[in-house]
Amino acid sequence: MSDALLPRRGLAIAAILLLSVACVLAQNPAAPPQSSANSGPANDVVIKGGTVLTVTHGKIENGSVYIHNGKIAAVGATVNAPANAQVIDATGKFVMPGIIDSHSHLALDSDVNEATSPVTPAMKMIDAFENTAKGLYHALAGGVTSLLLLHGSANMIGGEAVVIKNKFGLSRDQMLFPNAPRSIKFASGENPKRVYGSRNQLPSTRMGNFEVQRAALQEAKDYMREWDDYNAKVQRGEKDARPPKKDLKLEQLADILRGKLLVQIHCYRADEFLTEMAIAKEFGYKVRAFHHALEMYKVADKVAAEGVGIATFADWWGYKYEAWDAIPWNAVMSMRKGVKVAIKSDSNDYVRRLNQEAAKTMRYGGATEEEALKMITLNAAWIIGVDDRVGSLDVGKDADITIWDKHPLSSYARVEKVLIDGDVYFDSSLPGYGLTKWKNAPMSDSQGEGDDEGVVAEEVR
Amino acid sequence: MRRYTLPLTILCVLLALPILAQTSRKTDSKRATQMQMANAPQDNTQPVAIRGGKLLTITHGVIDNGTVVMENGKITAVGPSASVKIPGNARVIDANGMTVYPGLIDSETNMGLIEVEADQMTTDLVEISDEIMPHMHVADAFHAESERIPVVRVNGITNVIVAPGSADTLPGQSAFAQLDGRDRDEMLMIKDIALPLNFGPEQRRRGGGPGAGGGGRGGETRYPSTRMGLAAQLRQTFLDAQDYAQRQANPQSSSADGQESARSGGRGGRNGAGGNKRDLKLEALLPYLQGKKPVVVAAHDSADIETVMNLAKEFNLKVILNHVTHSQEILDEIASWKVPVIVGPIYDAPRPNERYDSVYSLPGELAKRGVKIAFASYRVEHNRNLPYAAGYAVAFGLPYEEALKALTINPAEMWGVADQLGSLDVGKTANVVVANGDPLDVKTDVKEVFIRGRQIPMENRQTRLRDQYGGSNLPGVGK
Repeated sequence: MSDALLPRRGLAIAAILLLSVACVLAQNPAAPPQSSANSGPANDVVIKGGTVLTVTHGKIENGSVYIHNGKIAAVGATVNAPANAQVIDATGKFVMPGIIDSHSHLALDSDVNEATSPVTPAMKMIDAFENTAKGLYHALAGGVTSLLLLHGSANMIGGEAVVIKNKFGLSRDQMLFPNAPRSIKFASGENPKRVYGSRNQLPSTRMGNFEVQRAALQEAKDYMREWDDYNAKVQRGEKDARPPKKDLKLEQLADILRGKLLVQIHCYRADEFLTEMAIAKEFGYKVRAFHHALEMYKVADKVAAEGVGIATFADWWGYKYEAWDAIPWNAVMSMRKGVKVAIKSDSNDYVRRLNQEAAKTMRYGGATEEEALKMITLNAAWIIGVDDRVGSLDVGKDADITIWDKHPLSSYARVEKVLIDGDVYFDSSLPGYGLTKWKNAPMSDSQGEGDDEGVVAEEVR
Repeated sequence: MRRYTLPLTILCVLLALPILAQTSRKTDSKRATQMQMANAPQDNTQPVAIRGGKLLTITHGVIDNGTVVMENGKITAVGPSASVKIPGNARVIDANGMTVYPGLIDSETNMGLIEVEADQMTTDLVEISDEIMPHMHVADAFHAESERIPVVRVNGITNVIVAPGSADTLPGQSAFAQLDGRDRDEMLMIKDIALPLNFGPEQRRRGGGPGAGGGGRGGETRYPSTRMGLAAQLRQTFLDAQDYAQRQANPQSSSADGQESARSGGRGGRNGAGGNKRDLKLEALLPYLQGKKPVVVAAHDSADIETVMNLAKEFNLKVILNHVTHSQEILDEIASWKVPVIVGPIYDAPRPNERYDSVYSLPGELAKRGVKIAFASYRVEHNRNLPYAAGYAVAFGLPYEEALKALTINPAEMWGVADQLGSLDVGKTANVVVANGDPLDVKTDVKEVFIRGRQIPMENRQTRLRDQYGGSNLPGVGK
């Protein structure tokens, strides 16, 4: 796009924004009053009378959850809460932890892939995070309280993910998951092959894929040695010691080798899992999880032995060759071999009903209710590295809680309320959007396809 | 020269090896298929009785302990187990604790037109060289041996509409398939069953490729690049076809405008001076302009729906509406047209000014207004999940019985096959499913599928991979 067009584009955007405001105002006359918008959470909240699905210690019929200052303070058949605690009546309802999506590209507009080089670790997804994206609202209404927003899969080493709490309506910075570990996205296979191969560049093959990855990691090793040498000189008091140039890209790669980044790898095929684990061994870092991982059932024992998890689909298959051997039993077969399994969305659509996707693992292989729930809560939290803080209804954890009208592991369940840090963000009984914090500004309608595949395909075509 | 002979021979053999290997692999898989067919009942001549299940008959309620008898591909008895007489030579299947229902009907798929989506060599979705392609017949591309079909039918889906891709205004004619049979001809029950008519941003020729608001590839922008263009082109095409029909009926009345209209955008009317030269494109439109077959009008937005429905009225088309995703403000109007609606995908994202459940609740809202609705799974990766869309619509207000009908008798009526399909009734084709629970719930496992009375092997590429890698002992796997 030429510079001359920019002002006009700006005008167009302004016009669209104005129109959107008009639309919202016109179509949502019954939007809820915003009185609660700036009030903080009540100090004490009790969710009473529901079937409590704790995820870690079974199901409590007619149970209660007591929340104090945004944390879970008690869970049980009865709880000791102050008399003045705010009560949420969940009689006949189901109470479970908020759903966690361990693989999403929501709210990144079309800035998912910096597909200009196969190694772009200095990219930080927080710089693309758009906190007003309507997809976040849709996910919230589906019970999703935390997400790992990842770089796309065009590059072997993509960028640093951002972890958010889905406090839709708050500012960008208020939505960040505080002190979440850093994750970096890797990818191999057909997407990088296609993106760079179509430009007649390296890597156009899997050989090229992994060589590019090794070369980058080697460069980081050399960079770390330069710094080590420099630091040693400084320690020895050498006056002429000159520091090497700080390099953002190499710093990030070095952080992988230093174990400061959780490595999240997009790949599909059994051979790729083995290659990636071998490279990790060679360079001395750990893989946190394979994402998609549709062929994990073929080598699950080997991957389990390395303590690597997977974030996979319940039953997606066949959209490309590396997904051609996908089977819906993958999640349970891998789990039975000891792999920690999460079901993720990678989709602006499926993020809204991850509960149904998890339920499919009960049908395909006989996961128990608790195992199925773990795949969209605690195990997903583990992949992100926040399982000590969210993912189950346990004392001391953040009060990220969803309330459903029916058992969430079914086709028929609807989310009625979503609490994050003890505060209600979504309530389906409210008119209009059902949001408590949204200020009825226009939501962003970014048209990014929201998944690895679509975004990359767009890049190529 | 001579001394190269040996190396050359070796080279030839080496080059041939992969081919040989492939041939033997093919033979292997063929053998596997034959074995699989040998294991399954070869035909439907022996009567089968499914006894003791909960029957969802669709047309006459639920029978809690019921029996269905099938013979020669037809349902011969349905009723309470106590009153149904099972023929002495029947094979009896105990369905105690199971739910038994008619095979589900998917009202839009691209089944048999796509194998691996990312590989264009395995897809035959739509011709994008022109927007008006009514003379394309998906029956000419339907791949009966697709690996996807056995994956879908083991979830209880026995019949599907195979539609061309939607990048064209008139992309070609759909077919109605039954998902069992030895070849294409046995599987395609009705070859040119309907004509999709797509109207919206996707059909504009705006360059930028799919996803950028145009079917045109390679950045080319050309007519019709706007909705005005799309509408004008459609109207001209229909006029050309009417004119063509008239001249075919009366070869003498050679109106001068025959070639004129062809030039002005109809593109189909290449009629010679005599007026009776066959034009396949215009000819293909005639059954639809005569109201003999349904036109499936696909549009998402209310304005587009109204535009194209006006056109449909102008030409007396027999309409089935498709999508109507963002049409909340004209639902009463849609109901007043008395046309059936394929609703969805209900998973389409709401607009920023819409509530999160505005699309989920559409099936319920339409049914409430007396509209006959049907469900479709659309995208090829998710065809097997057809019933869950209906289940989710129930969560958002669609009565359960209506949801079942929208997968069975409603589409059977819409597609003109209600005398054969869509319910457990005597005389209908024996497409019967046995599952361990509610067909609309994601946790339910389908145990048996009968198509035309033949017991379908509950296996496919995916079950074979599962078993090969040690998954055959999982709970729920096998019988």
